[in-house]
Amino acid sequence: MKTTVVGSYPKPKWLLEILNMYGEGKIDKSLMEEAYMDSVKSAVKDHEIAGVDIIWDGEMRREEMVSYFAERIDGFKIYGEVRVWGNAYYPKPSIVSELEYREKLVIDDFLYLKSITDRNIKVPITGAYTIVDWSFNEYYLKREEAIYALAEVLNREFRGLVRVGANYIQLDEPAIPTHPEELEIAKNAVEIMVKGIRAYIGMHICYGDYRAIFPDILDFKVDQIDFEFANRKFEDLKILEDYDYDKDLGFGCIDVHSKTVESVEEVKRAIKMALDIVEPDQLYVDPDCGLKLLPRNIAFEKLRVMVKATNEVKKEFDL
Amino acid sequence: MNVTTTVVGSYPRPEWFRDYLRKVEGLQKELNVKVDEEIMKKAISEILDEQRRAGIELPTDGQLIWHDFLLTIASRLDGFEMNGLIRYFDNNLYYRIPITRAKIKRSAEILYDLDVAFEIYRDIKAVLSCYTITKLSKNMFYKKYDEFLWDMCRAIREEIKRLESMGVKYIQIDEPSLIYAKRDELGLLEEIFKEITRVKSETILMTYFGSAENIFPEVLDFGFDVIGLDFVEGYEENLNVVREYDIHSINIGIVDGRNTKIEKVNDLKEKFEKIVSSDNFKIVYISPNTGLEFLPRVKAYEKMELLTKLRGVII
Repeated sequence: MKTTVVGSYPKPKWLLEILNMYGEGKIDKSLMEEAYMDSVKSAVKDHEIAGVDIIWDGEMRREEMVSYFAERIDGFKIYGEVRVWGNAYYPKPSIVSELEYREKLVIDDFLYLKSITDRNIKVPITGAYTIVDWSFNEYYLKREEAIYALAEVLNREFRGLVRVGANYIQLDEPAIPTHPEELEIAKNAVEIMVKGIRAYIGMHICYGDYRAIFPDILDFKVDQIDFEFANRKFEDLKILEDYDYDKDLGFGCIDVHSKTVESVEEVKRAIKMALDIVEPDQLYVDPDCGLKLLPRNIAFEKLRVMVKATNEVKKEFDL
Repeated sequence: MNVTTTVVGSYPRPEWFRDYLRKVEGLQKELNVKVDEEIMKKAISEILDEQRRAGIELPTDGQLIWHDFLLTIASRLDGFEMNGLIRYFDNNLYYRIPITRAKIKRSAEILYDLDVAFEIYRDIKAVLSCYTITKLSKNMFYKKYDEFLWDMCRAIREEIKRLESMGVKYIQIDEPSLIYAKRDELGLLEEIFKEITRVKSETILMTYFGSAENIFPEVLDFGFDVIGLDFVEGYEENLNVVREYDIHSINIGIVDGRNTKIEKVNDLKEKFEKIVSSDNFKIVYISPNTGLEFLPRVKAYEKMELLTKLRGVII
């Protein structure tokens, strides 16, 4: 039984200030770089103090999860932002030509993180299905062609990651449950992404109706699926039970949409519910999703509670 | 044949207005926050200018403060409570799901933002919805769906009467959910829409996100002056519809409002000619198939220009 995170962590306020200044041309690139590195160190330290076993760098460099990668892959063009809800927008990329590998996406982030921590590392990256689903397609005649082409690009990145020592990759695929009719395409895409990759593969899925993707999701070529449970008061655990869930389980048990910090007791109760479904060594305890939208002190407290609850359960079960 | 260029309704907000809204409302609008009318006027005026500059003859107000897409209408009625986010059709867009907690009533103007636009420009189209609102919200109050729909209909009808007396000449009713309507609902829908369309203003039914074949021929008796069909996502089926039935006036949703790819004018012209060849239409509008706020603003503008170019080659 291990504790981990989904990926993002709140950016320090000073980093946001520096980003603004950088945007206005008031500081140069080297200073910005230094700020990024220091912010990663601070996020990592928070994770270490909280006691999380498997960590990532808090995604200080990522503004959001689609355009960050699209900007670094040939074939994408970003014309501007579109709305997702309320007053929230994202730069929605358009696929305008053949998708091709151009430069490293997360390898340098991994290497930097490795140089500053002894903890185990997971590398989260938005999956091919979700990136294409959240982009416009001007080039490929069929959607799946775009998805498979992007899966090849990501496969190349994963090979590079493994070569430099990464052993745990997480595909972030929140778009999968929003199109249950395309599960076959998503599954093929995962197979392309992980082809020849000798690493532990997790897949993070949040939102949407989980029942619609069962049981097919169990055939995806991943070692672990990470679901959010706290957000829907753990009702979805029933689905796993109904379908004899047998993969490792990423167990989202901290609500990232609520500023109320969970009590150790309620998280312990949740973990015990998960242990009714999978064996302790199959269980990865984590928050529902990235923590980036929470105030930093609350995100930190939530991680602390999560780790404390996990440790207490371990002790009670003599693990 | 007289062809008029128009849009479906929504339009990307000007960047400065976006920043303003985020500042006063945060990421999610709180219901008690009121947008400063002068600022709203400036934004609407900018979008009206933009539409007319691109050659749109019948513009809208751009729905610039519609935080929940069509469900914004619910947020302006009594009886609904806005709840957690839920996906808007098959878009990567989310609205707060309205839940009925009490009888649905209209106690104030629904389209108060349209009034602002109407002051600036009078040849403008008002956009409302009725059936779709009931389908996309969660009913926790009414025992019978029919009662819910009828109360919704009455509220919308009151607003339409207000718009009519104000002098609004074009009233569009967006009903994307009609695409999924069951055949046994059509009798009730006929009564509902006959009530809604009983006005002097021109009424336009707008369907999108697919073909509307399953509501034909019944929809022809709903009382609308113009029927709007999506010829991007439901092209083949809607083409059959216009070939088979006698639709006297049509809104042809022909430019793709959900993809940044700019179509070739000649391809659109060919498509247009196929659509109109079978009928003798009294009124023809051409528009994107959906609202334009699915696109970045520069592309939304290009799509309108494309529509104007199309109009140039078909006349």
